[in-house]
Formats: sequence, C-alpha cells, structure tokens
Amino acid sequence: MTELKEFRLPDVGEGLTEADIVAWHVKPGDQVEVNQIIVEIETAKAVVELPSPWDGTVARLLAAEGQTVDVGTPIITVDVSGEPAVAGNTDSAERSVVPAPAPADAPPAGQSPAAEAQPERQSVLVGYGVKASSTTRRARKVSAARPETAEVPTGSPVPTKPVQVPAPPAAAAGPALATRALAKPPVRRLAKDLGINLAGLAGTGPDGTITRDDVHRAAGGATVRSEQEAEPNGARTASLAALPSPAGEERIPVRGVRKHMAAAMVSSAFTAPHVTEFLQVDVTETMAAVRRIRDLPEYAEVRVSPLLLVARALLIAVRRHPLVNSSWDGDAQEIVVKHHVNLGIAVAADRGLLVPNVKNAGELSLPELARSLQDLAETARAGKASPADLAGGTITITNVGVFGVDSGTPILTPGEAAILAFGQVKDAPWVVDGQLAVRAVCTLSLSFDHRIIDGELGSAVLRDVGSMLEDPVRMLAWN
Amino acid sequence: MTTLTLSKALNAGLRKAMENDPKVLIMGEDVGKLGGVFRVTDGLQKDFGEDRVIDTPLAESGIVGTAIGLALRGYRPVCEIQFDGFVYPAVDQIVSQLAKMRYRSRGAISLPVTIRIPCGGGIGAVEHHSESPEVLFAHTAGLRVVACADAADAFAMIQHSISCDDPVIFFEPKRRYWDKAEVDTVSGAANALPLDRAKVALDGTDVTLLAYGPLVRTCLESALAARQGGPGPGGPGNGHSIEVIDLRSLSPLDMETITASVRRTGRCVVAHEAPVYAGLGAEIAARVTEQCFYHLEAPVLRVGGFATPYPPSRLEEHYLPDLDRILDAVDRTFGY
Amino acid sequence: MTVEPGGATTAAPHTYEALQPDQPGGLVQLLTPEGERMEHPDYPLDLTAAAIRDMYRDLVLVRRIDTEAISLQRQGELGIWASLLGQEAAQIGSGRALNPDDMVFPTYREHGVAWCRGIDPVKLLELYRGVSHGGWDPKEHKFHLYTIVIGSQTLHATGYAMGIQRDGALDGDRGEAVIVYFGDGATSQGDVNEAFVWASVFNAPVVFFCQNNQWAISEPLEKQSRIPLYQRARGFGFPGLRVDGNDVLACYAVTKKALQAAREGQGPTLIEAFTYRMGAHTTTDDPTRYRLASELEVWKLKDPIERVRAYLVRTGQAEPEFFAAVDAEAVQVGARVREACRTMADPPPLSIFENVYAEPTAILREEREQYAAYLDSFEEAGR
Repeated sequence: MTELKEFRLPDVGEGLTEADIVAWHVKPGDQVEVNQIIVEIETAKAVVELPSPWDGTVARLLAAEGQTVDVGTPIITVDVSGEPAVAGNTDSAERSVVPAPAPADAPPAGQSPAAEAQPERQSVLVGYGVKASSTTRRARKVSAARPETAEVPTGSPVPTKPVQVPAPPAAAAGPALATRALAKPPVRRLAKDLGINLAGLAGTGPDGTITRDDVHRAAGGATVRSEQEAEPNGARTASLAALPSPAGEERIPVRGVRKHMAAAMVSSAFTAPHVTEFLQVDVTETMAAVRRIRDLPEYAEVRVSPLLLVARALLIAVRRHPLVNSSWDGDAQEIVVKHHVNLGIAVAADRGLLVPNVKNAGELSLPELARSLQDLAETARAGKASPADLAGGTITITNVGVFGVDSGTPILTPGEAAILAFGQVKDAPWVVDGQLAVRAVCTLSLSFDHRIIDGELGSAVLRDVGSMLEDPVRMLAWN
Repeated sequence: MTTLTLSKALNAGLRKAMENDPKVLIMGEDVGKLGGVFRVTDGLQKDFGEDRVIDTPLAESGIVGTAIGLALRGYRPVCEIQFDGFVYPAVDQIVSQLAKMRYRSRGAISLPVTIRIPCGGGIGAVEHHSESPEVLFAHTAGLRVVACADAADAFAMIQHSISCDDPVIFFEPKRRYWDKAEVDTVSGAANALPLDRAKVALDGTDVTLLAYGPLVRTCLESALAARQGGPGPGGPGNGHSIEVIDLRSLSPLDMETITASVRRTGRCVVAHEAPVYAGLGAEIAARVTEQCFYHLEAPVLRVGGFATPYPPSRLEEHYLPDLDRILDAVDRTFGY
Repeated sequence: MTVEPGGATTAAPHTYEALQPDQPGGLVQLLTPEGERMEHPDYPLDLTAAAIRDMYRDLVLVRRIDTEAISLQRQGELGIWASLLGQEAAQIGSGRALNPDDMVFPTYREHGVAWCRGIDPVKLLELYRGVSHGGWDPKEHKFHLYTIVIGSQTLHATGYAMGIQRDGALDGDRGEAVIVYFGDGATSQGDVNEAFVWASVFNAPVVFFCQNNQWAISEPLEKQSRIPLYQRARGFGFPGLRVDGNDVLACYAVTKKALQAAREGQGPTLIEAFTYRMGAHTTTDDPTRYRLASELEVWKLKDPIERVRAYLVRTGQAEPEFFAAVDAEAVQVGARVREACRTMADPPPLSIFENVYAEPTAILREEREQYAAYLDSFEEAGR
C-alpha cells in the first residue's frame, strides 16, 4: 500500500513567488532519505538545494528541469509507506564542513518519523512572505448580529454583541429627553435651516436618533418627498386620504404644482441668503405714460399695464448691471452671468403659483414685450404653460399689487439672483418741489441673493428701476 | 500643603520615589552634581549617592539602553533626556526594545523604566529645544505616554510613573517649570487620579476643550477670558462656557472622560503645540467623531503648530497656539 | 590592512596565517587545526578528558541542530534561519566557561550558547518559524532573548552589569558577570561603541565577546574597521584580546579568565574570536555572489570539530564507541527537532493582544473584543 506525500515548492527567500527547476538529483524509483538533496532550484536571489522532508521512494517528478514553478506548486511525490530505504551513507559523522546537510541514517522500516509526525498535514507550508490573498469574501454566519451598524450613540464601538466594555454614561432610550438630542450632522443642518429645535423631538431612528423625516414632520405639513417622485397628480397619498381626519382639521395632499412650488421655495429660501430692499417710488409719470402708450396704434391689440414699463425698466437696469442676471453654481464655485434675460413673471394660476418666462426679453421691442407678457399670462392662467415656458428663467418680476398689498419679501426663483416685486399703485401724499402733493406711489421690493449681489449693487439696481419709473424718459435715455 | 514650582514638585516626587524604593535610580546627563539643567534632580545625588543618581556619558541611546539592562536586573531606572529634541538618538532603544520586550517575551520581562523629557516651546530657545515629539511614542504600542501640566500633578504623576510596571514616557512642560501651585506633599500621590485618567480642569457647558502639558494653562486662561467676554461679536469667546480637560495620559487616552464631556457639550476642540498634521488631535478627533457622532453639533477642531519645523524663537509666538487662536477655534465650532 | 604604531600601514589582510600565535598580534590558540595541543603562558588549561569529550559532543549536536534547521527552512517549515556553521567552537567554548549565575546577552545566532544554557533548541525554532518572538524566559536560563537589532544588546548587557555592581554581587568566584555576543559588523554601530564607553567609565563587569566571522552579510571586515577589532578596546581604555575562534579550548580559557576578571571588579574585556561564517548570513542569503569558494576551502581545513576529534583520537582520550554514540545521538536530536518543528502549533489569534502592557488598556480590551466578535462572525474558522 502506498502512501504518497506531496512536496510543494517552498518560498526559500522571504517573499519569492517562483523558482526554476535547475536539476533533479533523483528520479522515480530512487530511494531517498530525510534531508537528502533532491533538487536544485534557482530563484531570483540564489541557486538553492532542497532537501527531502521524508524517507521513502520517489514516485513522480511533477516538474521538469528548466520549468518555472510557482511557490506552493507540488514538484515531487514520495511514497513514504515504509519501505526500508537502502542503507545510505551510514558514516554521518559530519566530517565535511559543507553548507548542505549530510544524508542521515535511514531509520528502521515503518518508523519514519516524518510520516508518523504528520497524519493530518499532507502539504508543506507554503513559504513565508508573499501569500496569495483571497479574492472573495468568507461566508458569515447567518444568525450573526449585523456587522458594523450605524454608530451606536452609547459610545461603545462594539456594534454586534453586548460586551463588557467600560461603558460611558449611556444615552437612555429616549435620548432627546434625558440628554442631548441625537442627530447626524446633515439632520442637524436641516433642522437649523427649518428652524426646528431638536431638543424635545422624539427620534424614530435607531437608538432614538432623530431622522430627517422626524424633522420634516416637526416642521409641519406632510413630508416632502424627493424630486424623484415626479407625479403631478399621483395617488401617492392614497393612504393619507384614506385616514379618517379627526374632527376640526382638513388634510390637503401636497401634489403637483403645489408640491413643486413648495419644493422650489424650500430649495431657494434655504439655500440662497435673501436680502430684500424696498423703495417707494412716485410712479405718476409712469402711469401717465401707460395711458399714452395704450392709445398708440401699435398697442391696439395688446394689453398695456404698468407691468410692461416695470419690466422694461428692469431689463434696462439689467443691462446696466449684468451681474444681477446670474445664478450661483455652488459645485463649480462660480457665478454664471447670463447674457440673455429670460424674464419670469409670477402668475397666479388655478393650479398654483407659476413663473413662466419670456425668453430673451432684453432683445424685444416694447410692443413685442407687451405681446409676450400678455401671451405668457394667458397661457399660464389657462394651465397651458409648457415646461419650456417654465424653465430657464434668469430674473423674475412679481406683481403683489394685484393682491392689494404694498410690498413683500419675494423669494427668489430657484437658480436666479434677483426678483422684483411691485405693489399696488395708490394715491399718496408726496413731496414735490418742496410742496405736499398727491401722487401715484408704488413700493418696489427687490430680493437678491447675497452670495452674488451685495448691498451696493442691489441698491443700484433698485434705484435705477425706481428712477426710470419716476421719470420714464430715463428709459429712453438709458437704453 | 506647600507652594511649589513644577520643577520643585518633580524634585519632591522623585525624592519620595527614591525614599520608598531602593531600586529607583536616576540617570542622565548632568543630573547628579549639577542637579539637572532645570534643577529637577537638585540635591538628590548628595542624599542618595552616585550609585543611585548617575551622571551618564553623553549618549541618549546609551542612557536608555543601559536603563533597559538595569531594569532587566530588577531596578527602576528614571532616565532624563535633557531636551525633547535630543530624544531622537534614543528612539531605537525606546521603540525597538523598551516598548516591545514585554510582548517579545510573552510577559516574562517587565521594564519599569521612566523616561523624563522636558518638552515644548515658549522659552526663546535655539533649535531642538522646543519640540513636541509625543505622537511618535503614543503611536508605539507598549509605551505609556503621559504629560503633567501643573505642580500638583507633576508631584503625583512622576511617582505613579515610576511605580508603574510599564515603560512610561513622561513629558514635562518646560515653560511651566516655574509655575507655582499648592502641592500636598504628604498624600498628593495617593489622592491623585490614576495615571491613565484625564482631569476636568474647569467645568463648562458649551464646548469641550482638550489639552495637555504646556497648553493646559493656556486653555484655562482662554476659558476664563471667554466667560468674561460676554455675548456678541468682538468680545473674546462670546461668553461661551468652555469645559477644559487636561488629558494627562496621551497613551492610553481616557476616552471615557472625553466622550462624557462631548456628549454634554456637543462640541470639541483639541489644542497642542505639536503640529496639527498627524498630531494627537487627529486620533482624538477620529475617536470622538466615531463615538459621539449623534451628539456633535460641529466637527472636532484642532489647534496646533503649523506643518513646519519649529521656527526661530523670534517667531515662536506665531507658531504656538495662544489664547486668541484657541478661542478662535472655539468660535469656529459655533459657526456650523 | 593593518596600521602599525606610528601610522605605517602594511597590506597584510586579516588572514588567519598572519595571526599565528607566534606573530605579533597573534591569536591565542591552545589547539591547532590539526589537533595538536599548544600551551599559552597566560591561559593554563585545566580541563579533564571527560570535559573535552563533553565539548566534542556539544559541538557535534549543535552543528546537527543547525543543519537540521537549514533543511527545515528549505522545506518551508521555517521562514528563515541564521546558521552558526563554523562558529561552534567560539560559542561552546565561551558558553561552557560561564557560571550558572552569569547572564548572557546573545544576538540571534548564538544557538550554541543557548545550548549551553539549557534552552531547548525547539524554542529557537519558534522564533524563526514565526510562532513567537522568542520562546524562553530569560531569568530561567540566564540567557536573554535573541536581539535582532544589531548591537542593541551590548547596552542592555552593560546596564545589567551596572545593576550587578549596585547589587554588590561582584564577589570573586561567587560573583556574577555578564557576557554579551555580537559580530564584527556590529562594532560599527553607535550602540556598541556607547556600550564600550559606559562599560569602561563605570568599570562594569561585562565581557564583550565579538565573533568576528569576517562577514557582515556581504561586507567583509575591511568595511567595518581599519584595525584589528580587539584593538578597539584600547581606545576605550580596557583590555582586548584575540583568540582562535575555531579553537574550543582557547575560547573556553580566555572567556573564563575574562569573566573572572569581571567578577573581581576589574571591569570589561573585549574578546575577538577570530572565526569564519561557513554558511550564508541567513537562508535568504547567497554567499556565492560575493565570496570565493576558495576562501571556504581554506577555512574547511580549520574546522572546529575536526580538530577536537583528531586530538581525542591521537591522545587516546576517546574510543570509537564514543564517536558512534555521539553520531547516533545527533541523528536522534535531528529527528526530534524536525518532528517538533513540523508539529509546532500556531499561537491562538487573540494572543496578539496579550502582554502589551502589565494590564491591558481600555482601548486594547475594546480591540480584542471587536476582533473576537469579528472572527466569530464567520461560518468557518479561518486561518
């Protein structure tokens, strides 16, 4: 009965990965003894003689002379089944001082210590140094607790099992109540932006941490989902609608236009630092101009309102201060100044607030501008504004006067740097040439993105618009 | 209670250690007859003899290497490295031998060696006399690294270090050697915190300020200034209530005390003279962020030296963190 | 090249021939390569025949263990091995000169001295197999762990010797002394020179035993010193001598005398054992790249074991049965070492975390627990 042992090429040089077989010193059928040199190999560092780990008979040579072999590859099999070795050199008195080991005496049959010593270990250690690393993950136990979980607020860095770690004063199950509110930095930021105080909120996250949803819920109104859910009139809130509302309250699903308006407001309001400046203007001359323009034949078919001249004034102001017609690119850390003015007009439609824009408004003649404004308003009110109409605006005007108010603090249309609101025109006492008079007065409100526009510029724009409305001849002079 | 300078407190602590244990030896350059260039070992050779207070040849590696041999023989050597910048020749003996021999011998060998190193700047010195090399040793497993900040702790901690069975790198803030404080020379060591614990030096509620060695005093001064500053821009500190923690032990770090504080305040600033880059503050910041993530209102900020060699002494005020730079960092944590 | 007093240099290399006992600067030698006994006025030898036979046995067994270890490395059972081939006499001779209470600080090649101190050779294999960094208790055997950083241990030895002084344990015959081993290359290291400074100014009871085996990996002695190494001691103010490192009797005699001087409070001695590294620096080294086979042949004729055998045979102090018994014992020792090495168990993974400090720190405890949990999370126990 044969018992075959495989000898694998070891790493003989601290990290070598392969060697060449130079010369075999034995052939199949030869008897070999422990430590007898069986092969010479050549590595990157040296020519090395390899001694046999066992007594036995050579069974097979598994690599040929001249072949390059990787460390760990079997190169020879030896039958160690206990055939007594032919008596080798019994005079093993180590007379010669040779670096290579001298052949040892053959032990009695059947007692090869090597064979007995390793019933389990068939193969030789695969060298030291560069070990091939695995390219796949090892299988984990199914029932094991989750590996590295989210950070455990107790401070113990051991996520899986409860272990005896010197635990600092652990946060209780209702952490917001007992100690500090627990929340990740992005959630804290959101709370700050929305003006929510984390203390006192009950967190629904792991270990009582406060989540984004918790914050939104506390901010009032239903949760605003991400933009991925673009269903204008979707039935997402079927569950909400199905909830029986307790007496005394009505729940309005946030969908469609309202949803987008809300999202836009949030995105704009809590991203761009808004500053609003106000200017009361004597618009008596503008109102007169409006009446005279209305009578002109070129404007017979088109509606002429103060909005037209406000728009014209703003467009001229933009030409004088181009920076106001821009947007903030945070990712690129750049301010993008647009060369064309796509003038947005806020329109109150049935669906909600829309801001369609007139493309390239700065290039239009006054009649064209009047026509465009009218078409735009009609289309939007009819609910027919296309996405193209609604996109690409660069600056906005909003008429809050139609609501019967004087001024407001308009919120920038997302992606824009300025928005001009004008209120109702009403008669009011005014000082003209040192005397009290009754004049048509209107308040302009200009909100701008203080990252792009500083107080000086914003004021200049507002002043310019005001000046032009005060004396429309300036629109002629400055154009 | 006695009022002692930090240098004298160390002297008293060394004396006590030598009285209590005849195996304690002191060795280093100029420690015997001269009593040390900072007089920390003043008078000890006269009282304990040349066999126990040894003026060594001028070779730092030799000081530590022979101390290891003496420790193998059963002694408790207290080495002095004259200045921080001169520890480098000894780093091989410290890192390759002193730190590793217990591990190498699987516990058979114990090397209760203390290496005292005056460290830090602010004394107007020439090169190599103002270093802060603590991180090299904190990063070396097998060493304990501690730093005393005041006379009372100096008195206690030097005794604890000597009686500790592990090798201890003991940093002394050389610019504070002349700071005075009340020291209980009778039971000061027995009553002090254990060697591996941090100390809340000043209670506060708004931000946790961590420091060690020479900057502990600076941080205390900063915290007091912040309190008086009052709210509103312009006043230093804007009235924040700063909790100052003296780390005392740099390796191991007392994370329990640190995280307990940060979980209360939600904000953390670390100050050290050593460069910020790859300094001990980085390790603290990583651990605090990991263990207090949900409590943090702001990232952990660090104040320290620049990523430069220590500058000529006329410029060292710009390099060393001072009250303004520390309170600046405190302000920045409130800007998130 | 040697430098004569007055600065003149001769081109004589550090060759054995140039250092014959009757030459100036010659070696101390009590047994020639041919096995003839020589007398030296300073070193009377008082060894019995039995003692010399014991030394022969030591030499043979130590060489056998060494060659077995080389084979084991070639078979992948050891990561590396530093062979002492050719240096057996220097180690057995000096090792047998020690008193039981003397303390030894070795490098990483003193398997012969370890043998003399009663360290099981398998313990040496642990280090080279990667199972431990040194598997024995230094106090138990008065034999420090192997130090791999070159020369570091000379400072440890000197400090230890200073401790002996402070213990008042210098007491003539019953006193304690220290011996520290290092090679020719190590004499360039700062730490070794600092140790010479310390030992000399403090008059420490330490014997500096330098095995000059002519090579520091591939660099010959000429790269380390312009003058014979034993003369370095003079510069530091203590005695130095050179002995035939392949002569077990001479190594024994000079070491015994130096240790006695140390014990009697006369301070350090530098012994330069002039020998040859017959093998490679370690099993990863290939000496054929930097030295000539002819050099090896010359030193084969000075084999340390051969001369003792020749002496014993010529003087009739050993029978053929004695040699046969020693050979048989060598085979057995080899087999035992082989088997023990192959069956040596790997240490448990969590032992990584033990013995860093006297007591584990909180951070270490955390890391250990985390890693234990991590290991436990796998279906099958891995490596």
